[in-house]
Amino acid sequence: MAKLLSAERLTAGYGDSIVLEDVSFEVDAGGSLALLGRNGVGKTTLLLTLMGLTRLKSGNLSWEGADIVRLPTFRRAQAGLGWVPQERFMFPSLTVEEHLSVVARPGPWSIARVYQYFPKLEERKQNLGNQLSGGEQQMLAIARALMTNPKLLLLDEPMEGLAPIIVQELLKVIGELVRAGEFAVIVVEQHARLALTLTREAIVLDRGQVVHRSASEELLKHPETLDRLVAVA
Amino acid sequence: MLGNLIGVLFDGIAYGSLLFIISIGLSVTMGLMNFVNLAHGAFAMLGGYSCVIAMTRLGLPFLASLPVAFVVSALAGVVLERLLYRRLYRATHLDQVLFSIGLIFMAIAGATWLFGSQQQPVRLPDFLRGQVRVLGLDFGAYRLFLIVVVVAITLALTWLIERTRFGAEVRASVDNQQASAGLGINVERVFSLTFALGSGLAGLGGGLGIDVLGLDPTFPLKYMVYFLLVVAVGGAGTIKGPLFAALILGVFDVAGKYYVPQLGSFVIYVVMVAMLLVFPQGLVGRRA
Ligand SMILES: Nc1ncnc2c1ncn2[C@@H]1O[C@H](COP(=O)(O)OP(=O)(O)O)[C@@H](O)[C@H]1O
Ligand SMILES: [Mg+2]
Repeated sequence: MAKLLSAERLTAGYGDSIVLEDVSFEVDAGGSLALLGRNGVGKTTLLLTLMGLTRLKSGNLSWEGADIVRLPTFRRAQAGLGWVPQERFMFPSLTVEEHLSVVARPGPWSIARVYQYFPKLEERKQNLGNQLSGGEQQMLAIARALMTNPKLLLLDEPMEGLAPIIVQELLKVIGELVRAGEFAVIVVEQHARLALTLTREAIVLDRGQVVHRSASEELLKHPETLDRLVAVA
Repeated sequence: MLGNLIGVLFDGIAYGSLLFIISIGLSVTMGLMNFVNLAHGAFAMLGGYSCVIAMTRLGLPFLASLPVAFVVSALAGVVLERLLYRRLYRATHLDQVLFSIGLIFMAIAGATWLFGSQQQPVRLPDFLRGQVRVLGLDFGAYRLFLIVVVVAITLALTWLIERTRFGAEVRASVDNQQASAGLGINVERVFSLTFALGSGLAGLGGGLGIDVLGLDPTFPLKYMVYFLLVVAVGGAGTIKGPLFAALILGVFDVAGKYYVPQLGSFVIYVVMVAMLLVFPQGLVGRRA
């Protein structure tokens, strides 16, 4: 399969501090990768680095074969990186529907199709971004990224802080999206098993470095390895 | 007496309308982009001189010279934003103040050198001169025209910001630059265009204002406090806030100078301080 994204020996951080060291991985078109690791090991920093929002000290980043290291953030998004930030970053001055229309780019995803997957958002379409519950915010963050018609969806802890019933609802939708293979996906998740059931490949980070890589299935079969790698010490 | 009161009110509203057109751009750069641009009045002055040049050198009629004023100031806004302002978005407010005061003095010196220090005349078309009689009261035709223009601009701006994708991009970029960029919005371009629009409106206001505010090289300094007051009292991030603030400021300034001329501008300072005490966030806070 064609390489969509390839990261080689990324070393990156904020200002003078280095968070990621020598991180390499690849994602195929339509592929799926779980990005695991304890709190604070650099998962979010890795996604931000893909978006060009950290300071990249060294390493190569290529997208569909072209170097994107110097590409500004908004061009990366336009090229097909669909970012769902951990903080969700709702726009308080925009209605739900404006969140969708303001980032819309041509492709299979339209507002109507997004509403089919997230009917709650249609009920709330006139509400402002800061008038939503946590679950609705998460749905909107995902829906908004879909509206950019991404080739690679970056999900940063989509289940964080949500009630179990909402996690189930969201999991069903994300599972459908990932399995449909319309786009590739990187899933960062504290609930490692959730992320592993959704994906084919997995990498585990510890203190900014890749300490394990395998098929997701492999890790699911070896719970003791998984616990050693990601369980809170 | 009642006729006087209505006349003062009317003049004040026309005057406030002008302040609004000139200040709305400052409300955006200062309130939303968090840039203290004291030189905003220089764009209004540039529009004023563009208007005068378009009429005297190019022979354009007054109404046709207004779009020229808008375009020249908007272009100057784009160029200065790209070359200078952009570098100071993350600078401290003190740096921004010093930088924009420097720009004011350059604008004053430049205008004096090019046009001399005298007041510039403006020839209004016949239909905008004299009085219009409504319900037995005389209203200045030009002031009526100003009010109509401002109503039109306010409606157009509201539509642009509230109803178009560009407006949504502006609001999103202001809410969260990083998230906007991360979702494909060209934030730099959005801010450039917004800055250009604000500068262009200031230029338009400068052209419209020659007859009311006058036009000489000290313009950016003379009215600086008024523009800042409109923004401070109106609150940032809305169109309504600066509009109300400008109208109140205009009415009290005209009324003060009419009824208690010995106090001069003191009246509006008192009014503005009182309003800031009552509405510390500005008249209309940002939707939050
Ligand atoms: N904006 C920032 N500036 C400086 N350091 C940061 C910033 N964001 C995160 N860090 C640091 O980078 C490390 C990795 O954080 P993060 O990538 O958020 O981890 P994770 O997502 O795996 O929980 C942490 O030590 C954190 O303190
Ligand atoms: Mg994180």
